[in-house]
Amino acid sequence: MGTPMPSCEHIDFSKLPIYKPDVECTSRERIRAIQLAKLIDQVGYTYDRVAWYRDQMDEMHVKPSDIKTLDDVRKLPFTDKSALRLTFPFGMFATPLDEIVEMHASSGTTGKPIVVGYTKEDMDVWSECIARLAQMAGVTAGDRVQMAFGYGMFTGGFGLHYGILRIGGMMIPAGSGNTERHIQMIEDYGTTVLIATPSYAMHICEVGEKLGFDWAASTLQIGLFGGEPCPPGLKAEIEARMHITCTDNYGLTEVMGPGVSGECLAHRDQQHIAEDHFLWEVVDPQTGEPVAEGEMGELVLTPLDKRGIPVLRYRTHDLTRVTTEPCECGRTLVRMDKVRSRSDDMLIIRGTNIFPSQVEDVIANIPSLSPQYRMIVDNDEGLDRLTIEVEIHPDVFSDSFEDMNQFTHDVTAKLQSVLLLRPVVKLLEPGSIERTLGKAKHVDDRRRG
Amino acid sequence: MSISQISVFVESKPGHLGNVLEGFESANLSVRGFSAADTGGYGIVRFVVDKPEEALAHLRERGFAVRLTKVLCVKLHDKPGELASVLRVMAQAQVNVVYCYSLVSTYIVLAVNDIARAEKALADTSLELIDDDEIAALPVRQAL
Ligand SMILES: [Zn+2]
Repeated sequence: MGTPMPSCEHIDFSKLPIYKPDVECTSRERIRAIQLAKLIDQVGYTYDRVAWYRDQMDEMHVKPSDIKTLDDVRKLPFTDKSALRLTFPFGMFATPLDEIVEMHASSGTTGKPIVVGYTKEDMDVWSECIARLAQMAGVTAGDRVQMAFGYGMFTGGFGLHYGILRIGGMMIPAGSGNTERHIQMIEDYGTTVLIATPSYAMHICEVGEKLGFDWAASTLQIGLFGGEPCPPGLKAEIEARMHITCTDNYGLTEVMGPGVSGECLAHRDQQHIAEDHFLWEVVDPQTGEPVAEGEMGELVLTPLDKRGIPVLRYRTHDLTRVTTEPCECGRTLVRMDKVRSRSDDMLIIRGTNIFPSQVEDVIANIPSLSPQYRMIVDNDEGLDRLTIEVEIHPDVFSDSFEDMNQFTHDVTAKLQSVLLLRPVVKLLEPGSIERTLGKAKHVDDRRRG
Repeated sequence: MSISQISVFVESKPGHLGNVLEGFESANLSVRGFSAADTGGYGIVRFVVDKPEEALAHLRERGFAVRLTKVLCVKLHDKPGELASVLRVMAQAQVNVVYCYSLVSTYIVLAVNDIARAEKALADTSLELIDDDEIAALPVRQAL
């Protein structure tokens, strides 16, 4: 990470709560056994109750009885967002609507939203997953938790709300909007935990500073973030200015909502997956075949005990890598890297898969470069060529061509070791790359077929 | 005795060097000499100006990658063999001239790998070194 992360070396992990240690800290063998038993059951349940999956599996000549090992999950069909759209609203439901106790929907930016329904059992799993991630951040029964997400169809608000109740924390359901009121409530009620999007937390922080509110002296200790990606730099800044510890979690409405995985305090750029509820695969986004452990690929999720809307092998299009190494926090559930890019961003250059986030990481670790970059791919001379434009930092420019050439060479070597492909590195003047938020703007693919 | 030189990182693209010069113009800075060299992708342009500290601050403010370096400035007499004699002195003193360019009138800038050693070698000759104050005063002197 290029941005300094707050040091957690002083944390005594044995003193932090773990919501369900008999699962979260169990052996890998036991987790795999739990997953297999649930997978076999879940595939049978899904085949029996959801016509869409039954048709798919019949077409592929796969029967539930073919699932004998965890690897057999690969025999099953993938599910894409489109399947949920095509069956709008209730086509994928496995239970009569009488058994659905709550509905949520993702905001569809195009066309119909994705509608999801939860049975009582589903709500139970969901709130437990949230309880786990809240405890990873240090939230306990005595906490006063202020909600700054909007409630409503969005899964974030109620999802987090139920999880906090599960721990025994006190919910303060303020909802979104009215920043000054939020700050007043923190002061009046002695709020200890804030649930917000990271950008709204930053806004609360700034408004508080302008009003003269002393964040260092406030009761607030923890931020639970969600609803949008949280750049490490933003998190570090909020932690420093509000004097709190902030974590974020991962989830998708299609497989449950928030709570699929959560950040512990030992590895701030990773999240523990709730493996007893989600079977994960990391696949090559092009071929759908599994990648080796530790390699970057697309996350595919199969919820293992979802009753309302079972989903098999959901293609998240999110890129991550997973490690099975035990964590210093005491948990043995695998850790996934926080999602920083989508499979749609991937470039294939001379047969090598390249992600903008890889370039971003290398550049973030070179203090003499700004975090801005641009990737240009062309094949003007036949072969694919990747040019990476970077901005030098004003302070490191040297008067010597020899030094500058050496510097260019070093940057090229660092990129090559990660990308496994030698790029052409071009040094640009500071500030010459347009500042944008979207990843897409970083890549300019000029190849002609 | 050495002078301050401003080195600026510029992309080899139309208009980029012009941006630097506009910066000097807006700050009312006078260029006494310059040299531009590039690698195809980017270049380093070196300037000797009348107010180097001001020029540095001004270009930094405008976001340029810029640096102040110490170089020597030798006053030459306009006669054959004068330039050769400077380089001969450097060679004899085992000082490497990294690059070299001329200024207004008969002044040359020498960027060397060992300023102290070069100064000492030049002190034993009739060649004259000038400093930043003299650089600033250059046109005045010429007008007289
Ligand atoms: Zn951990």
